[in-house]
Amino acid sequence: MSNKYETVIGIEIHAQLNTKTKAWCNCELKINGFENHYVCEVCSAQPGTLPVVNKQAVEYALMLGLATDCNINKTSFYDRKNYFYPDLPKGYQITQFHTPICKDGSLDLIDENGVTKKIRIERIQLEEDTGKSTHYNDYSLVNLNRAGTPLVEIVTMPDFKTAKEVTNFLKKIQSILVYLDVSKGNLQDGNMRCDVNLSLMPKGSNTFGTRTEVKNLNSFRSVERAIAHEQSRQAQLLDKGEEVLQQTLLFDVDTGATRVLRTKSDADDYRYIPEPDLLALSVTEENIRKLKDNLPELPTDKVNRFVKDFKIPKYDAEVICSEKKLANYFEEACSLHSGNAYKKISNWVMVELLKLVNEAKADVETIKLTPKHLVELVELIESGKISGKIAKEIFVEVYDTGNYPSAIVKEKGLEQNSDSSEIEEIVKEIIKAHPKEVEELKSGRDRVMGFFVGQVMKKTQGKANPKITSDLVTKLLDL
Amino acid sequence: MSEFKNIYDAHLALKNKKISAKELCVEHIKVAKENKNNTFITLTEDFALEKAKKIDEKGINNHLDGIPFSLKDLFITKNIRTTAGSKMLYNYIPPYEGTTSDNLQDAGAVLIGKVGCDEFGMGSSNENTPFGPVNLPINNDYLPGGSSGASAVSVLEGSSLFSMGTDTGGSVRLPANFCGLVGYKPTYGRVSRYGQIAYASSLDQASPFAKTPLDIAMIMDSITKNDEKDSTQAPIGAMNSASKILNNTDKDLKMTIGIDRSMIEGCREDVRDSLNQSIKELEKKGVKFKDISLPHLKYSVAVYYVIATSEASSNLARFDGVHFGYSSKNGKDLEDSYALSRSIGFHEEVKRRVLLGTFCLSSGYSDEYYSHACKVRKLIYDDFQKAFKECDYVYSPVCATTAFRKDEILTPLQMYMNDLYTIPVNLAGLPSMAIPYGKSSLNSLPTGFQLIGNSFKDEELILDGHKVFEVLK
Repeated sequence: MSNKYETVIGIEIHAQLNTKTKAWCNCELKINGFENHYVCEVCSAQPGTLPVVNKQAVEYALMLGLATDCNINKTSFYDRKNYFYPDLPKGYQITQFHTPICKDGSLDLIDENGVTKKIRIERIQLEEDTGKSTHYNDYSLVNLNRAGTPLVEIVTMPDFKTAKEVTNFLKKIQSILVYLDVSKGNLQDGNMRCDVNLSLMPKGSNTFGTRTEVKNLNSFRSVERAIAHEQSRQAQLLDKGEEVLQQTLLFDVDTGATRVLRTKSDADDYRYIPEPDLLALSVTEENIRKLKDNLPELPTDKVNRFVKDFKIPKYDAEVICSEKKLANYFEEACSLHSGNAYKKISNWVMVELLKLVNEAKADVETIKLTPKHLVELVELIESGKISGKIAKEIFVEVYDTGNYPSAIVKEKGLEQNSDSSEIEEIVKEIIKAHPKEVEELKSGRDRVMGFFVGQVMKKTQGKANPKITSDLVTKLLDL
Repeated sequence: MSEFKNIYDAHLALKNKKISAKELCVEHIKVAKENKNNTFITLTEDFALEKAKKIDEKGINNHLDGIPFSLKDLFITKNIRTTAGSKMLYNYIPPYEGTTSDNLQDAGAVLIGKVGCDEFGMGSSNENTPFGPVNLPINNDYLPGGSSGASAVSVLEGSSLFSMGTDTGGSVRLPANFCGLVGYKPTYGRVSRYGQIAYASSLDQASPFAKTPLDIAMIMDSITKNDEKDSTQAPIGAMNSASKILNNTDKDLKMTIGIDRSMIEGCREDVRDSLNQSIKELEKKGVKFKDISLPHLKYSVAVYYVIATSEASSNLARFDGVHFGYSSKNGKDLEDSYALSRSIGFHEEVKRRVLLGTFCLSSGYSDEYYSHACKVRKLIYDDFQKAFKECDYVYSPVCATTAFRKDEILTPLQMYMNDLYTIPVNLAGLPSMAIPYGKSSLNSLPTGFQLIGNSFKDEELILDGHKVFEVLK
């Protein structure tokens, strides 16, 4: 994109709440269960049926509102959004149009340079999901298991400038949803969906351009690609002096392009009307206080606590706490650890563990390498029993087999050699064999030290204690 | 026609074993099957006989044990076809039981069948239905009124001892008035709406027809249980009004009734005469009348047709030929199939109201029409609240005329104006009892008035309505 323009982005996030039952009836929430099995007269909109509010869904929305610094509307209202579609059995969606349950919240984003940016949340509203349509060549099928699933819609102000900010925000919301245990928050599984509103304006301008809305993005990658595509598409139009039309677009994962779903001039008119079948939703100070008191620890609080208790860098804490399960893993490891090598634990978790877990798309809660395994490994290094190199080598084996590091070390005889006299013999051999490098080191090229240590390691299959080795080199060469 | 004039008579006879529930049931089914007035859409003979047999085995305890009744076909009945009086739902067999039907049958009443109505409750004459108009039994040149006309007729012709209708803008009080019956529209939120096909959700209320206020009390006691499936029902528990009427020895009419005389002036001469006569007679019996003013009621019809049609346009969306209802196979695409199914499935009046409501809610007009109507609705409510500071009840005509002639052709707007006196009650959510009194000097058809009470003063209104009814008999 040419840098003539500034990008303005606001997003809407839909998240399915993981309540026991649906939003207006007692049907069990089993979206992927046998088709049309988790359906009753209410969620199939049989004539004469009426909705009843799921209190758990209301509590979940309030928890999310409190976690994102929202004002809670003591009285909020349900509205009907009217439109015809086969997966919407009532012919309208129950939502909160005029007065949502939460409004005016915000969330701080911290970039990799530690700079904080506040993203304002305009509103969080309660609503319901539709059924699921599957289209075939000459027919379509509807599955109503999902119909009436409680949703929250989170609407932000147009505070984003880059795709990175958007995905960071999504990740942050996702982790809050999971920490609160109010949603699975999984984009790929459709628990969470994102709509992106994007417009461009000339740099330095205060007037927003015409925006487009890209609907139902279901991965971080799609969000990034859709934003990039819209930025360049709109920029090209503006460069040519053409107009950006206010359109609703769909993102095509295969082509990476957007296509028009509808243009606003012939936009659907949703004919909003207050939902006459439900009373106003009242929330008391008491309700709010109770929820606030029982709110689980949020990612930000956990980050601060980890920084304080385990003395790890904020960046480490952010990475570890971005996922609740990972944070639990780390915390358990720290609690099992008898020393204070927390930073070492954090390094192992962030680098080696995450790499394997991500490659295998595994769940840290169920992997064979438990916090206990990890702590044992770190303690073996700390006590000088094995080298870091050996530790890295056996890490994969521990991960794959669940065998304890101490057992593997013992079985394979991988214990570090800290016997100075044994190492000294080897060091002497190496010095003898590499006079050129000796001269280099003596003339002050410190980097060459690594060469000697490496050569010794090679000779000892990595078992020589590197600290002792380098000390010996220094001593023997009289540096 | 059955020898029993009302529920209470029949109840005593059942209790004293002068007749069995089965015999009573057979008598009423016989009238229903004669089908002189095109009353029933679906007869539930086997079902009724089975139930009556069970009641005979169990014995008579409740007031409604063994009492034959009918339901307007807007009430959902599990496994029994429920059409809403519409081609749209011609074959609809509900998979669940509605609360009102359940409560009445639970109280021992015997369902004879489902009776006709204006399609989805939209109409004042019971003509807007593919099942055909219903006759007024006392004079076949006339119509019973609507939309719950067939319910009234089933009681009048003797195929039921009571019937449940729905009253959204007068759909029970108007036919009750035309047929010389008692029609009772409870406070909005007194009776569960679960299992009642919605026309206008903020106005609809299940409402019984019977011969006397005592009968009404017996019905109301059975249908006012708390129902957690309807969030708009007030959770104040079942009424217990019948025993209060039966145990009450105080016949004094110690009440003040407010009256806006301009409303009576607006009635046709024969109706006006009859109303004035009723007032005179009540005054003689000790009722105090007080002049009040209800200045915003004149906007009622306009307000009603904006709010009711707006809600209807949304409530009827599910009848699209995909989920429910008549489905045209000729649609070129989804949109076209919706349009065709709804064009063919709905009758003229429903289409008119759905279109009107769709317009009223559309962007750019919603504020002007819908929001504005809601504001005036509040003013109408306030008018009544002001009145109830000075009186216990408000006296009002039910209709400016008596029953409509079959050959009388009214424009939709003229038809809408017939609801002028009944609509304010729905808009304000108040309870009201239509009480029959006298006959028209013009055509000998029944006349009457309504007594309107304040919100949730249902029990008081029924008790006092009983007294008023008894002194005017």
